[in-house]
Amino acid sequence: MAKQYDVLFRLLLLGDSGVGKTCLLCRFTDNEFHPSHISTIGVDFKMKTLEIDGIKVRIQIWDTAGQERYQTITKQYYRRAQGIFLVYDITSERSFQHIMKWASDVDEYAPEKIRKILVGNKSDEVDKRQVATEQGIKLANAYGMDFFETSAFTNHNITETFTRLAEQVLAANKKDLDLLRMSGNEEINLAALEEEEGLYERVASDESKGCWC
Amino acid sequence: MAITADDVSLEDIIPISLDFAVVEVSSPEELAVVGADTRVRVSHQEEELELRLPFGSHSRLFLSEVNRAWSDVCKSTTQAPRFEWISKYHKNTRGQGVVKQAPSPLDSTLTQLNEHKKTEKPSDQKGSLERDKGSSNSGTQKTRAYSSQESQGLSSREDRDDLVRSSSHTTSNKAQILAMPQFGLRDNLIKCELMKSEDIYTYLQNFSFFLGTYNVNGQTPKESLFPWLNCTSDPPDMYCVGFQELDLSKEAFFFNDTPKELEWTKAVSEALHPDAKYALVKLVRLVGIMLIFYVKNEHAAFISDVEAETVGTGIMGRMGNKGAVSIRFRFHNSDICVVNSHLAAHIEEYERRNQDYKDICSRLQFRQLDPNQPPLTIMKHDVILWIGDLNYRITELEVSNVKELISNKDFETLHNYDQLKRQIDEEAVFVGFVEGDIDFQPTYKYDTGSDLWDTSEKCRVPAWCDRILYRGKNIVQKHYQSHMALKTSDHKPVSSLLQIGIKRVNPDDYKRTFEEIVRNIDKMENECIPSVTLSKREFHFTDLKYMQHQAETLSLFNDGQVPCQFEFIQKPNESTYCKAWLTANPSKGFIANGGTVDIDFEAFVNRSTAPELNSGQEQIEDILVLHLERGKDYFISISGNYLPSCYGSSIHSLCQLKEPIQDMPQETLREMAEKSGDENAENTEKPLDIPKELWMMVDHLFRSALKQEDIFQQPGLRSEFAVIRDCLDTGIPDSLPGSNHSVAEALLLFLDALPQPVVPFSFYQQCLESCSNASQCEKIISMLPQCHKNVFNYLAAFLRELLKNSASNRLDVNILATIFASLLLKSPTKQDFAEKRKTQEFFQHFLA
Ligand SMILES: Nc1nc2c(ncn2[C@@H]2O[C@H](COP(=O)(O)OP(=O)(O)OP(=O)(O)O)[C@@H](O)[C@H]2O)c(=O)[nH]1
Ligand SMILES: [Mg+2]
Repeated sequence: MAKQYDVLFRLLLLGDSGVGKTCLLCRFTDNEFHPSHISTIGVDFKMKTLEIDGIKVRIQIWDTAGQERYQTITKQYYRRAQGIFLVYDITSERSFQHIMKWASDVDEYAPEKIRKILVGNKSDEVDKRQVATEQGIKLANAYGMDFFETSAFTNHNITETFTRLAEQVLAANKKDLDLLRMSGNEEINLAALEEEEGLYERVASDESKGCWC
Repeated sequence: MAITADDVSLEDIIPISLDFAVVEVSSPEELAVVGADTRVRVSHQEEELELRLPFGSHSRLFLSEVNRAWSDVCKSTTQAPRFEWISKYHKNTRGQGVVKQAPSPLDSTLTQLNEHKKTEKPSDQKGSLERDKGSSNSGTQKTRAYSSQESQGLSSREDRDDLVRSSSHTTSNKAQILAMPQFGLRDNLIKCELMKSEDIYTYLQNFSFFLGTYNVNGQTPKESLFPWLNCTSDPPDMYCVGFQELDLSKEAFFFNDTPKELEWTKAVSEALHPDAKYALVKLVRLVGIMLIFYVKNEHAAFISDVEAETVGTGIMGRMGNKGAVSIRFRFHNSDICVVNSHLAAHIEEYERRNQDYKDICSRLQFRQLDPNQPPLTIMKHDVILWIGDLNYRITELEVSNVKELISNKDFETLHNYDQLKRQIDEEAVFVGFVEGDIDFQPTYKYDTGSDLWDTSEKCRVPAWCDRILYRGKNIVQKHYQSHMALKTSDHKPVSSLLQIGIKRVNPDDYKRTFEEIVRNIDKMENECIPSVTLSKREFHFTDLKYMQHQAETLSLFNDGQVPCQFEFIQKPNESTYCKAWLTANPSKGFIANGGTVDIDFEAFVNRSTAPELNSGQEQIEDILVLHLERGKDYFISISGNYLPSCYGSSIHSLCQLKEPIQDMPQETLREMAEKSGDENAENTEKPLDIPKELWMMVDHLFRSALKQEDIFQQPGLRSEFAVIRDCLDTGIPDSLPGSNHSVAEALLLFLDALPQPVVPFSFYQQCLESCSNASQCEKIISMLPQCHKNVFNYLAAFLRELLKNSASNRLDVNILATIFASLLLKSPTKQDFAEKRKTQEFFQHFLA
């Protein structure tokens, strides 16, 4: 089966305010870390290209506002995602408790075959730890998710986490992708591609105006 | 007739049917190298063919088009088209293995020549595939050509089809989007950047190139070429062997057809170094100028992009009796061009030779795999190897002097009289090329079959006609010599062994560089995502009142690298982007990069939004989503408080309120609103007959405005309305401020803002039906809920008082009926003019 084609996925970062969603994204895409907490008020996104099994996977990662008052609005973004990071802060028992709520929202609002991964961030904060690794593992098992403890601060497990979810999404959509590629079947809608079509052309042509070639 | 790209479409050429497939063949180690050829396996029933398509968007487009065509075939119920052209190939290809082709004369003989190649399957395939590309009329050549011809053919066909069926292939669009086009540009960018940073991920490895040139004076091979081609102890990695004057016959000249090609190729093949096995990669010939390129089998897999071209500079400046043939190829990461030329003859014609050189350089162009790229010229290569009978002579010396210098082996002195050396020194020709020291006697002109100088009448001056030059970095000449042992021609062959540093890819460094480039492109892309900064994220409206404007300004600054389009977008389950009491002005627009746009948030509570705010069912609270097209979303919070008012409160509620509304706890107001719908709700306390606010206004007018000229006809003042409203809602001051006209208008606004009009909506239809019957009308009023009935009668009585003073206030029944009917009798839906007349008729009964 032919397999070298490019794919676009949308992944979503969810979790309480302050657990480090924005920091995870910044570390992953720009390899930067900002110690101050500037709460995300809105929905931000960045692009990243990964190569998985020889397939160029372009992922669009959406960073959502964690604050409770915005949750009714952020929920509407779930249905457009193929993968979700459920992030808590290992120094905050409360953020861990809330994972249940986030997960049930995802069940309610996200597409059925969405892939999820559990992330316990701030693993560097050994002294302030409130959530044991085992608790994370247990919860992840209960939900049938993979689990990573990460640190955006020390760059621990960041690439691994993002790559893992991308791999899972790719695997979950592999059949459809092959089918789509071979038959042009209309029913399969991977990422709302119609919307994206323009983005790349636009961005790409902007680039070409620069110093390239 | 020649087929052009416009004549063909994919479906006509590729025999696409259900059992046809083109799939990419991928092996893990190859995927790492972006820029490598794309290997595809074409299969139809039992037949399989493996091809390499050049890297890039064209191959991608081709593959996606094949898939599109395939899916079209799958969907259509009609019989797949027959492909007449293919039938004649069927007998040749049936049953053959991968990459076999219909036999061509050259092919069969070559297989005999190179028996050893049979055992070395992969490189053999590669070699013959490349060779066939240059020759015509062979089966594989057609197959090979699909990649480039097809993509051109397709684009023009697409244009045509657009006119006929503009939207009919939407099904395949998605597949295409997924498959590639949107990434084509990225691929090119990556390729470009990879080229720029080549030094980082390549290292040099030396390979030996054997170069040989021999003007054979139209002879057939009579002796072994072993002494010439086999003069190195180790087998060279490459052989580039050039001949001139291969065939001096007319047939060769006019038809470019000669048996000698085969004879000499055979002679060369037999004389290659016996310690290694070689694959013939390419052979190119123009009349008598021939160049053959062999490579050690083990290197064959690293040779790609092989192209051959010829340029004639002979008779009329075009014919092939003089000129050049050339082969270019890529070896690992280096681009190499080998030229074999035969330049103009005669001692005095050195400028003509210079001109031939220049013509060859400008006219010899290799087509690029990517048709969008300009053709490749000789000088664009990393390494250029130039061999041939360049025909430069020795001047200004008598034959005797020349021969004396030769017999003294004083080649250094003799070289000073060499035209080529002089021309190079003057930079008139071969600029940038290097020629090693000549330590052999001139190779021209001998009596055939001997080592004796030309004894003919002409008695030519000996000359170094046959030369080998090179251009490029990291080249070391190991030897440069002639071969006196060969006596077939009036020239002696010349050879040189060059050690050339070839750029090889270090896979780890390559991977790192590649990832770095991708990261940078991602970064650029991320920087190009539209972005703005907001002057404020939260807006607060304090003590908002009924019909009072409050505005706040948000400044958007475009801090991104691209212009952006912004718009407030709806939230789920909401039909508008914000609550009805709020507007954003403008709600969408465009900001140039570096530009700023101010957006005004205006809060304004009117009669439709007041009731729920009064009762506390609704708050001044909202979140707006500011969306940037192709970019981020920003949330903007709106908060504030609203001061409840009698405006927009129901008659029923107001009758319960003995104190000013703003003195009441929010809780009470909410409870009252909940009960107001319920007529029979038990009230602990006896309610007021009519709302005290209504009484205050009417009583005020009754006492001071009965005779007021134009009362209810002249507008009041906005500012006075604000204080009247505040007085009604707070009880301060004790009596109503403002002019009579302002109070009159405040009364009208009060009636207008009632959530249920004085005659409730449910009675409206009845009123219309009985409007002409006075007693019926009165009967309807008597059925109104108590407080509504009180208000109705109270107002009617007041208006009748006003009419008694019509002499001074200039009112009449018509005017009052027109004004008040529209406030007291409101339609639950839209009111037309006929209905309006009926409501007035209805109300007039009560003014008489
Ligand atoms: N020690 C440590 N601190 C972290 C780590 N990741 C994030 N932080 C800190 O946690 C704070 C919050 O991080 P953000 O990434 O802004 O949090 P968020 O999840 O995006 O929050 P909202 O945008 O409000 O939903 C910041 O002060 C970060 O510096 C981590 O791995 N280790
Ligand atoms: Mg954030």
